[in-house]
Amino acid sequence: MSTSNAKSAKHIFWVGFLCGLCGLCVLLNAQSPQRRVIRITAERFTFTPSEIVVAPGEEIEFRLRSDDTAHGFRITGTPVNVVIPKRGRAEMSVTFRAGEPGKYTFECSRMCGAGHNFMRGVLVVRDRTSRATGQ
Amino acid sequence: MNFESSTVRLALKTLAVTVLAVFSAADARGQAPPADAGYPTTGPISGYMDFHFNKPEAGDAVLDFHRFVLIVSHSFTPRIRFVGELELEHAFVEGLEESGEVELEQAYVDFLITRAFNVRGGMLLVPMGIINERHEPPVYQGVERPFVDTFIIPTTWFETGAGVHGELPHGLRYRAYVMAPLNALEFSADEGIRNGRQKGSESNAQHAAFAARTEYAGVQGLTLGASTWSGKSNFLAPRVDTAVRIGEADARYKRDRLELRGVFAQIWITDAARLNETIGQLTGVSPNIARTLRGFYGEADYRVWNAGPARDLVTFARYENFDTQFRMPAGFVPLKQFDRDAWIVGATYYPDPDVAVKIDYVWQRNQSTVVKAPNSFSVGLGWWF
Repeated sequence: MSTSNAKSAKHIFWVGFLCGLCGLCVLLNAQSPQRRVIRITAERFTFTPSEIVVAPGEEIEFRLRSDDTAHGFRITGTPVNVVIPKRGRAEMSVTFRAGEPGKYTFECSRMCGAGHNFMRGVLVVRDRTSRATGQ
Repeated sequence: MNFESSTVRLALKTLAVTVLAVFSAADARGQAPPADAGYPTTGPISGYMDFHFNKPEAGDAVLDFHRFVLIVSHSFTPRIRFVGELELEHAFVEGLEESGEVELEQAYVDFLITRAFNVRGGMLLVPMGIINERHEPPVYQGVERPFVDTFIIPTTWFETGAGVHGELPHGLRYRAYVMAPLNALEFSADEGIRNGRQKGSESNAQHAAFAARTEYAGVQGLTLGASTWSGKSNFLAPRVDTAVRIGEADARYKRDRLELRGVFAQIWITDAARLNETIGQLTGVSPNIARTLRGFYGEADYRVWNAGPARDLVTFARYENFDTQFRMPAGFVPLKQFDRDAWIVGATYYPDPDVAVKIDYVWQRNQSTVVKAPNSFSVGLGWWF
């Protein structure tokens, strides 16, 4: 085999290898869609943001932190119910896969003061087309 | 309670019809309560406490265990919840307020219907200003609460009543309650309407008072609020046509290490001249109640040590101006010692986010050339659990 043929074979091998690698990445990405990260700050007696819109089936990672005392984060009607550590302590992370379209209340599940019952928000699950048209 | 007043009857009927209608509507739409397991459930006891060392410029030092508050909660279902707050003030009770008080500051049941519309009834905090509904010691700066939140807005202001609350789109929140009114015969020159609070103790409800507050929190870090109170307060003196109206506006802004707060509140008392005459006839002393009371303050807090617990230190400065004799009825002269202003500077150290060690100094002045307003030095320890 001449030297030029050997070089061509090497090029074909590397091009094929890179194409295969890209294909694998696309395949893996299709199999596990990217998780969306939503950061929420809890403070007596609000969550910021307090209104969140997600698509049905979308996987969400909530990263929760407190700006004062320990709070709770519960999405009613789901198993999600965690304690958000006090200010300056660790960030709490919890994942949630959005289910059927609808409105899900999230709320503080740990008594945090006189206005504790005011501390609520809403998770709106609806498809992307209706999300694009606004809330 | 005597509900002769048509206003009260109308308010209660409206409330009852609204509650029934909303519950019916919720059922009709098939919005069953979420299937959370574990109800009914009773929450753990929580609460807050604070005690103070106060040294007035020309007076003896005082150590006072000011507040010992326990909070209990119970959820009958995910949508029906009870919260109660019982407070012991000044550590000891001997029948008179000067020796301490046991107060039922909150005891209400919430009917959580939708995000925008919920119903609450029982002993409620009046939704007025920043401090009245956010009064846990680590939340505010200064050993004592602001003067405006003492002499103009009479915190902690609680009363029996019922009403609605909710959160609307674009960061808007509201609360609107029908409550028992103030008792005008207990108003005074130096403390304004403070002693007129009936505190839900067999409160006279001949007339209803209305309290409402709206808040806007649509921009990160910014909260704007406006509150109002309106109610006839002459139930013990029917020939006096005294009503109390309060308008209040406040703002809080927080960015990085900086927090700014401002409050403005004004009280209007109608028929104050005849109220003074009536109280004068009953007690032999004219109380010199004003027809308008006004107060405002601005505060800047800066977190100089921001490394989290236990390296967490906030310094603050607050200017307050408050006058319980701002406008007098015709024929009455304002007492200048009640036209006051104050500078308060201090710091709060947080060894834990729920524990606040506070220190401050108060420079207080008034417009009187005879009576001097005392400066004071204070140290406090407050905590939430």
